[in-house]
Amino acid sequence: MRNKNWKKLIALLAAVSVVTAGVPGIVQYASATGTEEEAPEGGTEGGETGEKKEEEEPQEVSDTGEVIMKNAVGKKPKSEWITMEDYELVTESDTYKMYLYEPTLSIMLENKETGKILESTLSDEKDDGYSNRSWNSYMKSGIVLTAIKNNKSGYQLDLITSPHTLDVTKNDNGFSAKLFYNEFKVGLTMNVTLEEDELVVNIPDDSIVEEQQGSYIATISPYPFMGYSFLDEKKGYMLIPDGNGALVNLDNKEGRYTTGFNQMIYGSDVGFDEKTAKALLWDEVDMVRNANEVIAPIFGMAHTEDQIGYLAVVEQGEKRASIEAQPNGAKVSYNRCFANFKSRDVFVQPLNNSNSGTVPSTEADRTHTDRQVRYILLSGEDVSYSAMATIYRNYLLDNKLISIKDNSYNTRVDFLGTEREKFLLGTKAVTMTTTENVEELYDEMQEDGVSSLLTLYKGWQKGGLYNLPITKYKADSHIGGTSKLTDLIKDSEEKNYHIYLYNDALRLNPSTDSLNFNMVKQVNKRTFEEELYAEVYRTFYYLTPGKAAEAIESFADSYVDDGVSNLAMSGISNTLFTYSFKNKFYSRNDTAKDYSDALDKIDKDVNLILEEPAAYLWKNTDAFLDMPLGSSDYMYVDEEIPFLSMVLKGVIPMYSDYVNFEANKTEFFLQMVEAGVFPSFYLTYEKSSDLIYTNSSNLYSTEFSTYRDVISGYDKGLREVNDAVKDAFITKHEKTDTGVTVVTYSNGVRIYVNYTGTAQTVDGVTVEGMSYSYKVGEAE
Amino acid sequence: MKRKRKFIKLAALFLVAMVLTSGMSAVTVSAETPYLTFTVNGYGGMEETQTAYLAHQTIIKFGEEFMSSPNDICVTDDGKIYVADTGNSRIIVGTTDGELESIIGEGTLKAPRGVFVTENKHVYVADSDAEAVFEFDPEGNVLNKYTKPDNPLYGGSKVVFKPIKVVVNDAGIMFVICESNTNGIVEISPQEGGSFLGYFGTNLTSVDLVTMVFRAIASDAQKAKMISNIPSTPDNLAIDEKGLIYTVTRGDGNNSVKRLNIAGANLINGANLQGYYDDSPAAVAVGNHDNIYVASSQGYIYEYNNQGEPIYLFGGRDDGTQRVGLSTQVASIQVGKDDEIYVLDNDRRQIQVYKPSEFTQKLHNALYLYSKGRYTESREPLSEVLKMNSMFDYANRAMGRAYFQEENYDEALRYARLSKDKSGYSDAFWEIRNNWLKRNIVATMVIIVLAVILYKLLKLWDKKKGVLSGVKAGWAKLKEKKLISNLCYSGYYMKHPFDASYGIAREGRASWSAPSILLLIFMIEYVINKYLCGFLQKTVREGRYDIFSDVGMIVIVIVALTSCNYLVCTINEGEGTVKKIYTYFCYSLLPYIILTPISFALSHVLTKNEQFIITLIQFVLVAWVLIIGILGIKEVNNYTGKETFKVIALTLFTILIVSLLIFIIYVLWAQVFEFISAIYGEVVYRLEK
Repeated sequence: MRNKNWKKLIALLAAVSVVTAGVPGIVQYASATGTEEEAPEGGTEGGETGEKKEEEEPQEVSDTGEVIMKNAVGKKPKSEWITMEDYELVTESDTYKMYLYEPTLSIMLENKETGKILESTLSDEKDDGYSNRSWNSYMKSGIVLTAIKNNKSGYQLDLITSPHTLDVTKNDNGFSAKLFYNEFKVGLTMNVTLEEDELVVNIPDDSIVEEQQGSYIATISPYPFMGYSFLDEKKGYMLIPDGNGALVNLDNKEGRYTTGFNQMIYGSDVGFDEKTAKALLWDEVDMVRNANEVIAPIFGMAHTEDQIGYLAVVEQGEKRASIEAQPNGAKVSYNRCFANFKSRDVFVQPLNNSNSGTVPSTEADRTHTDRQVRYILLSGEDVSYSAMATIYRNYLLDNKLISIKDNSYNTRVDFLGTEREKFLLGTKAVTMTTTENVEELYDEMQEDGVSSLLTLYKGWQKGGLYNLPITKYKADSHIGGTSKLTDLIKDSEEKNYHIYLYNDALRLNPSTDSLNFNMVKQVNKRTFEEELYAEVYRTFYYLTPGKAAEAIESFADSYVDDGVSNLAMSGISNTLFTYSFKNKFYSRNDTAKDYSDALDKIDKDVNLILEEPAAYLWKNTDAFLDMPLGSSDYMYVDEEIPFLSMVLKGVIPMYSDYVNFEANKTEFFLQMVEAGVFPSFYLTYEKSSDLIYTNSSNLYSTEFSTYRDVISGYDKGLREVNDAVKDAFITKHEKTDTGVTVVTYSNGVRIYVNYTGTAQTVDGVTVEGMSYSYKVGEAE
Repeated sequence: MKRKRKFIKLAALFLVAMVLTSGMSAVTVSAETPYLTFTVNGYGGMEETQTAYLAHQTIIKFGEEFMSSPNDICVTDDGKIYVADTGNSRIIVGTTDGELESIIGEGTLKAPRGVFVTENKHVYVADSDAEAVFEFDPEGNVLNKYTKPDNPLYGGSKVVFKPIKVVVNDAGIMFVICESNTNGIVEISPQEGGSFLGYFGTNLTSVDLVTMVFRAIASDAQKAKMISNIPSTPDNLAIDEKGLIYTVTRGDGNNSVKRLNIAGANLINGANLQGYYDDSPAAVAVGNHDNIYVASSQGYIYEYNNQGEPIYLFGGRDDGTQRVGLSTQVASIQVGKDDEIYVLDNDRRQIQVYKPSEFTQKLHNALYLYSKGRYTESREPLSEVLKMNSMFDYANRAMGRAYFQEENYDEALRYARLSKDKSGYSDAFWEIRNNWLKRNIVATMVIIVLAVILYKLLKLWDKKKGVLSGVKAGWAKLKEKKLISNLCYSGYYMKHPFDASYGIAREGRASWSAPSILLLIFMIEYVINKYLCGFLQKTVREGRYDIFSDVGMIVIVIVALTSCNYLVCTINEGEGTVKKIYTYFCYSLLPYIILTPISFALSHVLTKNEQFIITLIQFVLVAWVLIIGILGIKEVNNYTGKETFKVIALTLFTILIVSLLIFIIYVLWAQVFEFISAIYGEVVYRLEK
């Protein structure tokens, strides 16, 4: 008997040893298949930027700051130079003559008065000979394409090295160039016209041909060297649309920066996985904030000494385009800025859930849109960012892209209604500010002399802040319920306190709305998931734009029925993506159209304000919420300027990011004075530590009692300045040598902001250190 | 954090990879700096906070002098920066505004990699190629050159002298880190042209069990391939006003940051770091408030208090977007007199200056007072800090302690709980309880006495008049019901496991319903006790509830125990059926059901000092459950003692095997599923083409 049992035991032991020996084998197999995915992905990445392949080793820089490439082609002998004589005059406007050199589609714009020239491609004269063949042809071509072949992107198609046919027809205003690349069997037509003092470069969508299966156009960069300069030969700067606005001076960067500004207009595309791996602390924590989004599709070049330059507006196709501004030292020794249109992209298609098998794939269809850049040419006094701001404002007003709204001053105080924290099997409410609390706080602020307010009520809806999407006007009972909220909104109007209900129309919370399957899938047909390091809800989806539009409309309907009509939208106001849904693919243009149509529709009935709206939605909003006051701190940026504020001041009222979370409040206040932006606070009635177990645990300082004095102080100071300014536009913005910034308004008001630590005197006005002052003057 | 990381790696092996996307949070609170700032909360987790330091200024050159692969900087109180400009073989002296003051050591130095400036402006330079430490006077004349010590204790001719970092104390004694010298920091006295005092602060090596086993069985060739077990040299060092030496060592885990006293003993308890250390620290600096700064070579900057507890973590690695405040290869960190931080980036050849924000200035002041024990004084700046960030647990804890000092125990208790400061909570609670007892002791006594008297009276009354007979009869009648009777039988089982087991085995006392009810009560008590017990006893985070997995776990354990025990018993001539086995396992839980309410109640009234009572109850409880469980197995199956232990061992073993099997089947199925979905994916892909 005993023996028998021992045998059983031995048999069991043997079984275990087999099993344990087997398990690592399985794991090894799994990890081996796991590495396979990297091959195709690496392949596409390597070819991603064809013209910039020679990477990774530090670039060689001469004593004068020139970048010296390997395999440099050297300078052409002078006898072979293409000079002004090879160009022919095509057309002229009041101030400018346009010359064309057909083979490379190079144009030169000559100012008739001064004779100064704006070049569009690198001239042989200015070629330093230090670039390789690929870069050299890139710089000397009037248009550069990249192509995709067999699911690999990054083939450069230019007008020097790539075999092509070119057919140029001239007309009264300019010319039209029909271009076809024989090897890839792709082509397009580029129309260049000089309309008054505006150069328009247009590529119609229907002119694009892609005749061969598997080879497509990936990107199109018209005139990537428009208005370039060599090292510090010209004085001036490039304007880049980073944050509120930033300038990169045309000085010698001595090869310090290997890359420049390269951002997609209206933000990156979540439909594609990001290709660059982020550096994470301990392999898991992302310590780096994302850079600011490009809000307006513009860039500019100013040669201040030559008094020549341009402000470029990407008018069409901007929803899938990026803006690049490269200072000298970034690969080559020239400063240049341009728009790069994306047509199609390569992505990685996983074949199963573990991503262990993948194939590179190309988008089935290109983005269908005309592509157009308008270079508004500048001359004389207009070659400055102040003038660019004015010109851009006029452009927007003339084209009805913005209209003048009520610009009276309000302090913005937002309230958080209710949030959720985990409790037993579900969640429970954490109520921070009820409707009664709001009334109480309003009374206190009225006592303090705050005469007008704008409020976003966040987390008012049933189920709390993150119960998304919102389809009905139904308030959470914890804040008092729908009727109390309606009363609050109506009663507060009498006090001149305007309450807007906050609605994130972009996101779908699968934990609160588990039956909603209208979520966005990426181009590879995987559901897009936004992952948060949060306490309660850790995953969000994006609602398909069609459904988002429906939700917005049905919500607005039920809301207006109750007689209130103030609505604040976020999420959809600044997010665009390519996506797939039910086996169909949609472009960023489709997304933008859905959002824009929905907002147009409700805009008639409600007072709509948008959070950091992209330029194409500016026409819909009564206020610009969360206007950035800084930039993304790029090293190559020499100066931060409040460019967007200069454009929009006097047109749309602008509100800042929350003052609560600013570490240096004094400086932030001065920036608001400078930019004409109104302050914002995020408040709760209860202690903010109550939020610690909710998704809003990063709101670490919101209690009203902490901020009461700050609010009335800010209100007093900023109301006074902005009442003096009234509806005037900013006409001039300059930083004086003394460190004082002077902002001049069209009604003659001048504002002096001193960021230095000591008192300074400008125009006879003395401004204390870290303080401001203003002077009322005559209108111009 | 370390542990968490391992877990994540493990989980990643088994879990299906998901599409990860960027973004820490849906709300971008402020985009002021390109990096986030974190602090550590009471649970040791990372918590975002206000920007602690703002990237203020970048120095790329002094006058027209650029740096070439600089390796060290030293910032003096009068605002001068000394740069060990290794590539140009010189020391640049400049101002914080980027003005050039002077250049030292041109022609003398070969590869200066460390620089240190004393109070009287003597400049010490560690030059690895010249194999010497140079001492310059303020004008730049060489005063001394200390070369390799000839003392035999230094290590003989094999050990070279390649100084890379140097600090000097008030007595002029040099502490030198030498390249490829693993004996420790070289301590040199200036007397007699440099006499070797010995090695200082030697790092220890540790050997884990696996390595030891492997070493024992490995061949010589294999041993040669292994990473040598030589202690790592400190990578950098700093010195404070009191002459304490701070070192950082890469790959040394919790000991990567050290504060060494004059005897070379580490004053920082590694556990204080709570896992917040860097794997490749590049430099260390001492702040003006007894705080320690460590810069990782990747650009992350850690600030600790003098005990090594993390305060801030900020900065980051530049991913190629070139933003101010991010670094690529940090070589040195220094702190100026206004708490500004200077970070030398070797790759970028620049010095990045960070300035403390308003928030940090207040916090430094408060924490300094707090660390000096001046709690009450620290309350004012602390409340300022908490106004700006009410979730800053450091400040919350300090606030709790400050209130405790002021005998405001209710507030102290609140802040201690907020910051998860258990000992602070316990102290405050003791005081509150003490006060309550003082006030209510008489009333409590009276109530107890009254209750006893009442009980006695009732009994007496019942004896005389039989008032309770109805209740008693009802109870007896109820007891006759099978379910109730079986439930009561569990009490008998608890007290008399031998007799009661016989009942389960032979007298039809085994059932499904009664044990299931007990199991249900057990689950409920378990969950309540886990989530709602007193703060001091709590093992889970507040606000975290995971009841599904708790209940699931209990069910799985019971099912596994019952079924495996049954399987083993049947082949071992046991007499138990599934029902009987289920019954005795569930009945064995009764001690838990009875004792847990007591420990639950106690957890709300006991402080840390009396915790042993709860520990004792839990010990009794576990022992009781185990004993009657084992006796149940023995008696019901009619085993001898030896057989019982064999069966128990076999049962546990079977459970192990079964879980392994289930795991393997799961993995295999996942593979099959994967395979099918891959085929499907590929077919769809081909069809679409």
